[in-house]
Amino acid sequence: MPLRGSPPAAHQAGDGWADGTKAKQRTRTAGFGAHGARVRGGRRAERLAPYVLVAPAVLVIVAFRLIPLLMGVNFSFTGDGERDGQAVGPDNYVELFEDPLFGTALRNVGLLVLLLPVAVAIPGLLATFIYLRVPGHRFYRSVYFFPAVLSPVIVGAIFNLLLAFDGPLNAALGNVGIDPVDWLGDPDVAMFTVVGVHVWATFGMALVVFLAGFSTLDSTLLDAARVDGASLPRVIWHVIIPGLSRTIQFVFVTTMIGMLTSMFGLLYVMTSGGPEGSTYLPEYYIWIQQGQMNRPALASAASTVLFLLMLVVGLAQIGLLRRAGREK
Amino acid sequence: MTRRPRRSAWLLAVPMAALALATIYPLVFTGNVAMKTRHDYILDRFSPTASLHWDNFITAWTSIGLGRYFVNSVIVVASAVALLLLIGSMAGFALSHLRFRGSRALFLCFLAALFIPFQVIMVPLARIMADGGLMDTYPGLILAYVAQFLPFTIFLMTSYYTGIPGEIIDAARIDGNTPYGVYWRVMLPIGRPALLSVGILNALFCWNDVLISLLMMPSAEHRTLMVGVTSLRGQYSDDIPTFASGVLIAALPVLVIYLFFQRQIADGITAGATKG
Repeated sequence: MPLRGSPPAAHQAGDGWADGTKAKQRTRTAGFGAHGARVRGGRRAERLAPYVLVAPAVLVIVAFRLIPLLMGVNFSFTGDGERDGQAVGPDNYVELFEDPLFGTALRNVGLLVLLLPVAVAIPGLLATFIYLRVPGHRFYRSVYFFPAVLSPVIVGAIFNLLLAFDGPLNAALGNVGIDPVDWLGDPDVAMFTVVGVHVWATFGMALVVFLAGFSTLDSTLLDAARVDGASLPRVIWHVIIPGLSRTIQFVFVTTMIGMLTSMFGLLYVMTSGGPEGSTYLPEYYIWIQQGQMNRPALASAASTVLFLLMLVVGLAQIGLLRRAGREK
Repeated sequence: MTRRPRRSAWLLAVPMAALALATIYPLVFTGNVAMKTRHDYILDRFSPTASLHWDNFITAWTSIGLGRYFVNSVIVVASAVALLLLIGSMAGFALSHLRFRGSRALFLCFLAALFIPFQVIMVPLARIMADGGLMDTYPGLILAYVAQFLPFTIFLMTSYYTGIPGEIIDAARIDGNTPYGVYWRVMLPIGRPALLSVGILNALFCWNDVLISLLMMPSAEHRTLMVGVTSLRGQYSDDIPTFASGVLIAALPVLVIYLFFQRQIADGITAGATKG
């Protein structure tokens, strides 16, 4: 049950709830005639009221979200620099797909898609344990959730210290006889490092969503499975996963969106896209082209590709999970 | 509730505890480093600090200008959250309880706006803001935050208000309230739990943001705290304890809010999942 609270209690402060209701019923009969004239006079104003109430929201969203979206697509077909504002057809897209950095960014998106099941399974499994009342589950919930509220900048800065070549992680590995790894300096390793830190920082978010899903799960089914002597993996497979299909779907989509749109802070602080451009993601590419290279039109093309990518990934996931749900 | 055989539950508790330790350790390590002198850090960065060296925090706060950035962040976040709550609850009230033409289409529009990532609109947005003279100003950044988090705010406020029975609004109307009066005197007080939850979440989102702030506030004196932290690294690469102190200063408000409002944060996040 989201957003708990007791709405009636907050209503009309100062009045006891029961008394307040009675008083209202009295005014209902007594006050109607007295206010009639004013209500009629204000009819037009009354009809306009809903529009007035939504107007600021509409203005803000149209001006700063919808118009930029359309403008961006438009931009992507115009030129940069000397050709500013001129129509250049698909030139930006051609340049984009010939740019090895953008190629790396797209390959890294592929890697994220491959790692997605892991990023969903970890919080799912932990939520299951917490739901099954592992001793200290309340404490674990609070601890696991905490990094999720920290800024990627803070998380990145902390892990810069931890993952330094002569930092604590390599020292710990050294104690058990493993050679130090250049976590952020090795092009073959750095992307996995950043994704790992991202998962560390955000799995608490998915965990909380899973726990909310569990609270809607029919616990008699679990008890029945238990009485029948089903093992934990079988309970997860036959009871929990089918029962939580909507939650799982939601976590898949939001985790993917998170990976595609909220790793900028980590990349900016931890790797700046390096080493050798190996940790580029589309969002970082957009930032570099816009903020550093002064290529807004090219950045817009990358934005449009990112938007389409998210649309496709989101729809594909929903489609796949729907089908899996039906087969069950 | 379900009950598992005790022994296997304790068995699961071992990896859970190990993971909890792995979650806490990075913060503890950073706190320990922040308390060391530069000399101690270079000699041994792992052992518990011999003395509490608070000077690092003072250095980070004053000489780097984190204090300035901190104030910038507070101004921007407080204004953005106040505006978000006001605009979001007004729209939420209208969409949930007032009948008007196009209300359903409008709600779907807002919902669709929820799925436009900032990265997709940031280039044209920068141009719109520059054309409007809002680039590198507080109102510009505040507006950018409001636009970014308004769809989410409207979505949660609408779904919360939908759960409020219409009789309460009818009663207030019969008492002679205009729709605005109903909004101000009834819906705002009733909405307190949701406003608190959404407000805290929005405050966290804005406080933690770095991309929007980087885009909107290019000049150094307008930097928000998170952007300020990213610039620490370069300046203090040879003074890690001061760097660590700066990072902790930036994280402290979030830690405090988390300790007090953990439930509201979780509620806000899960509301999207269970209603969506």
